[in-house]
Amino acid sequence: MRLYVMVMLMGLVAGCDKTPPITDAMLDSGTFFDPSLYHPEKYLTSIAHPNPTTAEKARPVIIACHGYSATTFEWDEFRAWLKPDSDQVFVSQVLLGGHGRSYEEFKQSTWRDWQDSIKSEYERLVKEGYTNINFAGSSTSGPLIMELVASGYFNGKVTPKNILLVDPIVVASNKTLSLVSILGPMLGYIDTGNSAAEDKYWYHFRPQETLQELQTLLNRVRKDLEKGVTLPAGCAMKVYKSKKDDVADPVSAVMIYKGMRTASGGLIDMDMVDSRLHVFTRLDLRTDATAKDRENQQNAFQDMENRVLNIMAE
Amino acid sequence: MLKPLTLCILLLVGGALFDSTAQKPILDVGLRLQKTINLYNENGLSVQYCHPTLCYDKLYFGLSYVTSRLGTAFNSNAIKQDNYILSGTWMFRPQHVVRPFARLNTGYFHADYEYAIFDDLDNNSMLLSPEGGVCFETHLPLKISLSMGYNVITGNGVNGAGTLFPLYLQTTLSWNVFK
Repeated sequence: MRLYVMVMLMGLVAGCDKTPPITDAMLDSGTFFDPSLYHPEKYLTSIAHPNPTTAEKARPVIIACHGYSATTFEWDEFRAWLKPDSDQVFVSQVLLGGHGRSYEEFKQSTWRDWQDSIKSEYERLVKEGYTNINFAGSSTSGPLIMELVASGYFNGKVTPKNILLVDPIVVASNKTLSLVSILGPMLGYIDTGNSAAEDKYWYHFRPQETLQELQTLLNRVRKDLEKGVTLPAGCAMKVYKSKKDDVADPVSAVMIYKGMRTASGGLIDMDMVDSRLHVFTRLDLRTDATAKDRENQQNAFQDMENRVLNIMAE
Repeated sequence: MLKPLTLCILLLVGGALFDSTAQKPILDVGLRLQKTINLYNENGLSVQYCHPTLCYDKLYFGLSYVTSRLGTAFNSNAIKQDNYILSGTWMFRPQHVVRPFARLNTGYFHADYEYAIFDDLDNNSMLLSPEGGVCFETHLPLKISLSMGYNVITGNGVNGAGTLFPLYLQTTLSWNVFK
């Protein structure tokens, strides 16, 4: 009798429909895509300026990379903020592989696919002659970029001048992610409960396969940090981390600070920000952003620009 | 004049040692090896005690200390964290080699973030975890127990310790020092 009940339960779980109720209004639907796919020249510096002048080759390019399940929207405000200085700094907004398209494409993607588009833009820029390359990564792009450093990807290549990470994740705040290999196949997907406005810029449903990929990436980078990761010579790193963050646990900052070192063996720069937002630099579509949140965003943007322009803070 | 607690302990131990006809208390002392799913190895010591007058060889009370300092954080950049655990265990099927058990743990967790820049982050927590598993014991004083536990209290990025994860597996190898 007990065996019969167990088999029934397993059958019930395995047989549950794992197709989420996607509507055409959602990015998941595949009826519309991230705008960078329609107009890459508006987002990628390598497409917009494929033949840079000598001066442009030395101008800082910031490759801005968004987080898990997000889109280029996450760095739109930074691009808009930098627009008055666009003759001094390029911003290249990368869409992670498997993102910004459809639920099915997202479901099939791996963390290496997500990372590939970062590498592709960097390699195109290097090929075109750009020499002053910087990275800005939010959330999951943090571990994606740190993994590039840890794996030695930049060895023998143009060294990034700055790696600037906003709310990078090494440990998730929601600890059930650690159980995804057990719970994931039973659930199939997670419903984020995003609003209709957010549904245009973030996947509404998160396939359990991608959560497993995320956990794999986080474990890999955590272990790299435990062993110790050294930045290439000439590369500086700064992390801007919210002290309260319900997505990327603030302990991620501790792991990064303990694990990353500059080429000379020094600590990286760390700013623990008095914020409760995840990716505190993105305020559009938030209904509860305060004056303090705006101040945090502006301070981070200014600091990031100062660093790539090599301007010392007063 | 001896304090009452000291007197009780002396009577218990003394009675066990000198009265060869009565059942002796059980004091299992051993190593506890703990692995948190998708996080650290934390290892340490465990002591489990059972008294003859209190559900003999079924009800155990224990103290354990497990730490990443003796695990993943040894010679690495992993966060140094400590678990101080009090437990009550019910062991089923006495006089058998394979004995399932159920345990309830409570205690205190502390993580050392080392740098003042992280002073505002939560790094302490109460512990509360049910645990269930199986113990292998023979006529030797050696016991080997395997179990899975679930930390009911974990961090969430806003409150609580960030490296206190829910699910863990543990192995304890212990020796009954009174046998």
